[in-house]
Amino acid sequence: MTKTRNAARASGVVATVGIAALLVSGCTRDPATGGPGGDDSGASPGITDDSISLGISSPLSGPTAGPGSCTVAGLDAYIEAKNAAGGFEFGDGKTRQVDFTYLDDTYDPAKAVSNFRQLVNDNIFAYVGALGTPTNAAVMPIAEEEEIPQVLLTTGARTFSEDQEAHPWTTGFVPTYATEGRAFGELLANANQPLTVATLAQNDDFGQSYLDGFNEAIEGSQVEIVADATYEPTDTTLDAQVTELAASKADVLLSAVSVTPLQVGVLTKAQSLGWLPRIFLPSNTSTPGTILQPGGAAAYPGVYTPSFSKNPNSPAFAADEDVIAYNDAFTKYGSKIASTYTPHCTWSYTEGAVLDEAFQNMEKPTRESFMTALKSISGFQAPLLLDGITVDTTTNDDAAISTVQLVQYDGQAGFKPVTAY
Amino acid sequence: MNTFFASRPRRIAGLVVLAVVLVLAPLVSSPYINYQLSSIAVFAVAILGLNIVMGYTGQVSLGQSAFLGLGAYIAAYGVLHDWPPVLSLVLCAVIPAVVGMLVALAAARLRGLALAMITLALPIVGVPLARRLTDLTGGSQGRVVSWLRAPEATGLANDQWRYYVVVVIAVVAFALAHNLVRGRIGRSFAIVKENEAVALSMGVSPYRTKVLAFTIASLLGGVSGFMYLAVVQYTSPETLTFFTSINLVAAMVIGGSASIVGTALGAAYYVLVPVLAGQVNSSRTALISGAILLAVLFLLPAGLVSLPRRLASLLRRRPQPAAGAPTPDDATHRAPASSTATTE
Repeated sequence: MTKTRNAARASGVVATVGIAALLVSGCTRDPATGGPGGDDSGASPGITDDSISLGISSPLSGPTAGPGSCTVAGLDAYIEAKNAAGGFEFGDGKTRQVDFTYLDDTYDPAKAVSNFRQLVNDNIFAYVGALGTPTNAAVMPIAEEEEIPQVLLTTGARTFSEDQEAHPWTTGFVPTYATEGRAFGELLANANQPLTVATLAQNDDFGQSYLDGFNEAIEGSQVEIVADATYEPTDTTLDAQVTELAASKADVLLSAVSVTPLQVGVLTKAQSLGWLPRIFLPSNTSTPGTILQPGGAAAYPGVYTPSFSKNPNSPAFAADEDVIAYNDAFTKYGSKIASTYTPHCTWSYTEGAVLDEAFQNMEKPTRESFMTALKSISGFQAPLLLDGITVDTTTNDDAAISTVQLVQYDGQAGFKPVTAY
Repeated sequence: MNTFFASRPRRIAGLVVLAVVLVLAPLVSSPYINYQLSSIAVFAVAILGLNIVMGYTGQVSLGQSAFLGLGAYIAAYGVLHDWPPVLSLVLCAVIPAVVGMLVALAAARLRGLALAMITLALPIVGVPLARRLTDLTGGSQGRVVSWLRAPEATGLANDQWRYYVVVVIAVVAFALAHNLVRGRIGRSFAIVKENEAVALSMGVSPYRTKVLAFTIASLLGGVSGFMYLAVVQYTSPETLTFFTSINLVAAMVIGGSASIVGTALGAAYYVLVPVLAGQVNSSRTALISGAILLAVLFLLPAGLVSLPRRLASLLRRRPQPAAGAPTPDDATHRAPASSTATTE
């Protein structure tokens, strides 16, 4: 009796193991790792005669969700509007629709890698415009190894732009932080008068890049840094630092603060101490609606920020063709992804136009051809870029947009151009 | 445990099936699937450590991500200095264990919220440290590495090789932890969790037991950091943020507190739910993840591991809906569930 039961159990065991083994070995892995490869005419994965697929992973939830959503929304608006108008024209004479997939990585590098793998598994042709330094740094080695374009990234970190020979498949889009800092420095140096500066910077390479660019520009001029302070992104208030800097009574405050609430705190604290310097803000944290108005920036004699794109909410550009097209497309497509405006929305819209330009010069449906086309754009006046700023991807040591213009807060919802200090 | 696996042959069969699946899975899956499976193994070990200190010993720890990050940084430092991976692995276990023990020597005198606050400080201090010690950590841009490539002789792709490395480590960690919690030390964990006075009267020092539990948890945290670097090939201050700790704790409770199987389920939850939420709607991942979290906690307060038991009791009850009082069978099944669900 027990013997038969044991025998029955044993056979059950063998059967289960066998079935499991069969199930698992039933399907075999595609020999070409990284999904089905080029089948006809040597085309790269993710592109057919009438479609091409692009992917992005950005923070769509969590503390960086605002800018992150905008890097998706603006690009989506450009792509969907163009798709609806018939599609993108390519250099090989075909017209294709762009399939755009976006995923949320909450600014977590492990999730970004996971998302990148997922997108590659779903056969994307290229990975475009992702926001975030750590997330993109984690993706870069895989993109390089598998030769998948990881291009026009929305991060000002130098890593992605300064040595493109070392990583030919990765390019940055927005000006590096050093470029922004240099623009500040040049304005002060060109003023040709003794100026004192107080600096407040994030205690890491973001803050350091700003200071590096700034210091390069003021070298040998009459500008002098008389006080400096740093902060951690995890700090809850910068009152102590601002109080310390205020004691220097400097003429200018360089506030390279990347965290929105902290930047608002700096603006309110300095004026409450009766210190009203001219202030320089990074492009990341100078949105009128979320920073300048809550911070009472109108009280200062001048609030400057580097800019390269037109602000669609500013009355100065209300009649601009690009802005009208952007606003239409964004209301129709982008607004379901990002509800609040940050400049990243316009940047990523411009990025869509840069991709469009690259597609038009892309002679073969391959990733190599795409990279060649993308890296030979110069002097391209993309939509929404300020006059005088153009896209140049031909240099190997800088981002696609490598110049900025300083603009000055007009006290309301927009900016006006700056010519001299 | 599940009644189906109560008998020994069935349990062995189950383990054999599991082993076959674990061995064959990477050979037939895409690199993407392998990455997900490897990530589950990584976080399973981190959650295992957390489960030992929280689930089995009843002490709150909100600092697991700090040990995960520490392990990842040690491994990254090892890669830069060409240490053999085995040496890195040993150091990834030893250094976090020592750090964890030093913290625990002070912290284990406290209990409840005070203890939670001390452990909370670890990631809060760790992130700025990682940003500032640029020479060691690479600053906020982190460390990109390229290591643990598949040896030519194996004929495996890198993702498959890395999968095997992390899964072997995870299986060893789980086997050791399984034996640990069932042995003498596991019983002392349980009695310290239930009642420290009783533990003392039985000759078990609650203080030493807690320090030991913390040390083991930090050790496993460090090992999972090694695995993290093996899979992600990158580490940065974002790795050790406080949010990771909180999410790990949530995943542990969801999987099943004081349960080895629950730990693995918790890790699967931790990795897969954001992916599933992204499939539904990428702009609403936080909302969807939150809804799933609440649903699990309401429907399965003892965690995912109680799902088969819960289903069985629902099925059994259906024929006699009139029977008001719970059957004795139900009561015995419920008792451990309610005691494990508390995490103080």
